[in-house]
Amino acid sequence: MTYFDHKQLRVPTGFRKLLYLNWPLALLLAAVSSFGFLMLYSVAGGSFDPWARPQMIRFGMGMVIMFIVAMTPIMFWRGVAPFAYVGGLGLLVVVSLFGEVGMGAQRWIDLGFMRLQPSEVMKVAMVMVLALYYDWLPPEKVSRPLWVLIPLVLTAVPTALVLSQPDLGTALLLVAGTAVVMFLAGVSWWYFSAAIIGGVGLVSAVMSSRGTSWQLIKDYQYRRIDTFLDPSLDPLGAGYHITQSKIALGSGGMTGRGFMEGTQSRLNFLPEKHTDFIFTTLAEEFGFAGGITLLALYALIVIFCIWSMMTNRDRFGALLTGGLGATFFFFFAVNMAMVMGLAPVVGVPLPLVSYGGSAMLVLLGAFGLVQSAHIHRPR
Amino acid sequence: MIRRPLRPLARVIDARKKGQDPRLVEAEERAARLRAIRAAERQRAETRLLLLAALFLLGFGTIGVKMGALSSTVAEEPKAGAPGSIIAAQRATITDRKGRVMATNLETASLYAQPQHMADKRAAADGLAEIFPDLDAEQLYKRFTSKRKFLWIKRKLSPEQQQAVHDLGEPGLQFGPRELRLYPNGTLAAHILGGSSFGREGVHAAEIIGVAGVEREFDERLRDPAQSGEPLSLSIDLTVQAAIERVLRGGMSVMNAKGASAVLMKARTGEILSMVSLPDFDPNHRPAPATSGDPSLSPLFNRAAQGRYELGSTFKVFTAALSMEMGLASPDTLIETAGPLRWGKFKIRDFHNYGPRLSLTDVIVKSSNIGTARLAIAAGTPAQKDILNKLGFFEPVPVQLPEAGRSKPLMPAKWSDLSTMTISYGHGIAATPLHLAAAYATITNGGLKVTPTLLKDPDLPTEADRVISPATSMHVRRMLRAVVTRGTASLGDVEGYEVGGKTGTADKPKPTGGYYDDKVIATFASIFPASNPEYVLVVTLDEPVEMTGSEPRRTAGWTAVPVAAEIIRRVAPLMGMRPRPKREEMDDPTVTLARN
Repeated sequence: MTYFDHKQLRVPTGFRKLLYLNWPLALLLAAVSSFGFLMLYSVAGGSFDPWARPQMIRFGMGMVIMFIVAMTPIMFWRGVAPFAYVGGLGLLVVVSLFGEVGMGAQRWIDLGFMRLQPSEVMKVAMVMVLALYYDWLPPEKVSRPLWVLIPLVLTAVPTALVLSQPDLGTALLLVAGTAVVMFLAGVSWWYFSAAIIGGVGLVSAVMSSRGTSWQLIKDYQYRRIDTFLDPSLDPLGAGYHITQSKIALGSGGMTGRGFMEGTQSRLNFLPEKHTDFIFTTLAEEFGFAGGITLLALYALIVIFCIWSMMTNRDRFGALLTGGLGATFFFFFAVNMAMVMGLAPVVGVPLPLVSYGGSAMLVLLGAFGLVQSAHIHRPR
Repeated sequence: MIRRPLRPLARVIDARKKGQDPRLVEAEERAARLRAIRAAERQRAETRLLLLAALFLLGFGTIGVKMGALSSTVAEEPKAGAPGSIIAAQRATITDRKGRVMATNLETASLYAQPQHMADKRAAADGLAEIFPDLDAEQLYKRFTSKRKFLWIKRKLSPEQQQAVHDLGEPGLQFGPRELRLYPNGTLAAHILGGSSFGREGVHAAEIIGVAGVEREFDERLRDPAQSGEPLSLSIDLTVQAAIERVLRGGMSVMNAKGASAVLMKARTGEILSMVSLPDFDPNHRPAPATSGDPSLSPLFNRAAQGRYELGSTFKVFTAALSMEMGLASPDTLIETAGPLRWGKFKIRDFHNYGPRLSLTDVIVKSSNIGTARLAIAAGTPAQKDILNKLGFFEPVPVQLPEAGRSKPLMPAKWSDLSTMTISYGHGIAATPLHLAAAYATITNGGLKVTPTLLKDPDLPTEADRVISPATSMHVRRMLRAVVTRGTASLGDVEGYEVGGKTGTADKPKPTGGYYDDKVIATFASIFPASNPEYVLVVTLDEPVEMTGSEPRRTAGWTAVPVAAEIIRRVAPLMGMRPRPKREEMDDPTVTLARN
C-alpha cells in the first residue's frame, strides 16, 4: 500500500482531521499529567517551582507536538521510521561518548534548553522501525528464522548501548516493546517459548556470576535484587526506597491524608520523590482512591490503544499503536510494581507524572503517532 | 492447510476455451490467496491482541490489588534505628557530688562516603578538606577514586560540621547517627573520668565503651539500660577540683616541676573530693597511649593513683605512731639523733646535725632520719610491716579506678633491718600519693582505717577498722601541727585553718640504679584543721626546683608546702570552712577556753 492508495480511501483531510482525532485520549493524557502537576506542586512544599512549572510548560509543548504529529499522515511517519531508528542509535552512541553523567549513569545529552535522553527517543523509534519491518515483510515469512533474526539484531544494538549507560529499566522496556510488536505481528509461539527459556537461563547466569571475575551486572544492581527479595535486609540503605514507599502507601489509607498533607514525602524521607517515586506521594496524599484512579486512567489509555489497533486495518499503524501502547503499559506498570515492592527498583519513571522533560515530550509525541495512525486509518 | 493452487488446471483450460488470458486467472487466484492469508493473519493478530489485553488486565489487576493491600495495612513508622541500633543504648551521665555534670551524651553524626554514589569526587574531597583542616584533599581524592565502596571519614561531627558537609550537596557523603560522649568540663578531672571510645561500630550506631578511669570501672553500670536514667554520682566536688587544678598548675610552673599531683580526701570517710594529676589531657579527645618513652611521663598517666614514688619523710609519722602505739615512746621521749648512724657499711645521715638527742615530737618536727631509724629498729621489722599493711601499703589502692589496681607499692623483696630503717623515713618504699592520703586520713581521724573512694556517701569506718588508738592519733595530729608551726613546713601555715602536715623530699631513683643528686620528689601530706581533721591534702611535685633564693632549693618545705598552702587557702572557703581565730596553744584547750 502506498501513500497514494491511502488517499483513495476516505481519509479525512485538512482541519477535518481534528474531528477524527481521538479527543478522549487527549483528555486522558491531560488528566494523567495533571496528577503529575499536583504531586510536583506538593512535593515542592506547595510551590510551582522548581518542578511543577517546567513540567506544565513541557506538557504544553508536548501537546502541541502531539497535535502536529497527529495531523501528519501516518504514511509520512512510516517513511520517517528508519531515519528515526538510525538517528536514535546515533544519539545513543553520542551520549555514551560525550553525555552528561547524572546519578551514576550517562544518559543525557545537554541541548542547552533541555537535557535529551536518547533512550527515550529510542523506545519510540524502536517500535516504529519494527512496525515498518513487519508491514513490509510478507506475513508468511514472519516466523522464518532469518526474518526473526533481523528484528532481534535491531533491538540488541540499542539495548546494549542503553545497558552500558547503565540503565537497566529502559533496556527492559526496549526489549519488552520489541517482544510485543513481534508477538502481535504473529511470530511463532516457539520463538517466545525459546526466549523465555533463554531468559531464565540468562538470569541464572547473571546470578551465578556474582562475585566472580566475569560479573555481568553492577554490584548495586545485585543489591537491588537482594533487597527486592528481602527489603528488610538493609532498611536504611538499598531497601530504603521500598520500605519508605510502602510506609507512604500504608499511611495514605483509603482516601489519603489530603492534598499537601503527606509527611513521608514532605520530610524528605523519600529520595527521588519527584521522579521515580512520585507515586508514593500520590498514594500518601490521595490514598488508594487516588492511586486506583490514576491506574484506571492509565488503563483507559491502554484500552484505547488496543481498541484503535483492532479497528485499524493498516498493518503499520496497527502494529505501531499496539507497540506504543504496550511500551506505555510496561512503563507505568514497572514503575508502580517497583514502588509497591512487586518488582526490583530499576529506575523507571512514572510516565507523564514523574518530573522529566524529554520523557514527557517523547511520550506525547508517541501518542501523536498513535493519534495519527488512528486518524489516517483506512476506512 | 492445503494451499490453493495459483493455476488451477480446470480454470485455465476453461479460460482458454473462452479465449481469456489465463494470466488473469492466475492474478485472481493470487489475490484470493493473499486475502486468505491476510484474513488468517488478521485473525491471529486479533487473538494475540486479546491475549495481550488479558495479560495487561492481569497486570492492572495485580497492581490494583497490591495497592489496595498496602493501603489497608496500618502504616508502620520507621523505628528509631532498625536492626543496627541495639548497640547504642543511652550511657548514663556522670555527675559530681553536687549533681553537676561531668560526662554526658550528645546526639551527633558520623560521616562516611560511598564513592560509587559520588557526583563529583574532586569537589567532595576539596570541600571536605576545607571543612576539616586535618584532612588532606589529595589523600581523600585518592581514597574516593580507589575501589573501596565504603569509607569512614569522621567518626563524630559537630552540628556545624554536619551542616557544612550537608551543604556540599554530595550524594555520596552520608551521615550515620552517633552518640557522642561529651565531657563538658574539658580537662577538668580528666584522669578520674578517663575517657571512652567507640566499640563495635556500625553505620547506624556505635557502642560507647569506657577505656579508662571511672568510665572503664563502671562501664557496665553506665551501659545498663535499667540504670541509664540514673546518673553516676561521684565524690568529686567540681569547684574544688577546678580550684586545685588551677593552683597546682600555677605551682608546678613556679616550682619548675615537670609533673604534679594533688589528692584532697575527707579524713573520716575516705571520699576523694579532688584528685589532680598534671600534665593532663582532654578526655573528649583522649590521646592514644604513647608507644615509646616513659609511660609515667605521659599526660594519660594518673600520678595520684598510678604513680609510685618514694614519699620520703612523710612516712616518719607512721614510725612515730607505731612507737607510741607500742608504748616505746611518748611525744616527749628523747631519741638519740647523733649521727651518722652506722649500719654495716651504710651510714644514715640527717639533713642537718640536730645535736645528740631530740624529743619524739622534734624528731618529726625537724625530720630526723637517724631518730626515726632508731625507733624503727626498736619497734622491729614485723611491727613495721604490720602497721604499713594495716595502713594499706601492701596492696594497690582499692579506689574505683582501673589504673590504681595495677599500682601495688614497691618494696624490697628481702626486708632487712636496713630496709626497716630506710622505710621508716620513706625510702626504699614507693607508693602512690593516694596511698599516702588514705594512710594520713587513718592515723589522724582517730585511728579508723578509711578506704579511698570516688563514690559519694560511702560506709563509714567502724571500730573494726581501728589501726591506732585515738590517743596516738591525737599525738600524731599535734606533731603534724607542730611541723607547720615551728618545723620544716612553716610556709604551710594558712591562717585560720590550723594546717598540720609533714614534708617529704626523696631523691629520684636513676633508671640505671642509684639516686640522682638533683632530682627529687617533693611531697607535703597535710591535714586541716589539725585539732579535728576534716580533710587530708597530699601535694606531690616531680623534680621541683625553687630558684628565687641564692641557690636552688628543692626540699618540700620550699616547694610542695607553699603550693599546698595556697590550695588550702583557696579551697577551704569553697568547702564552707570558717577560718578560726589563731590558737597558739592547741595542746591545752582548757587554757584557751579560760581566756575566752
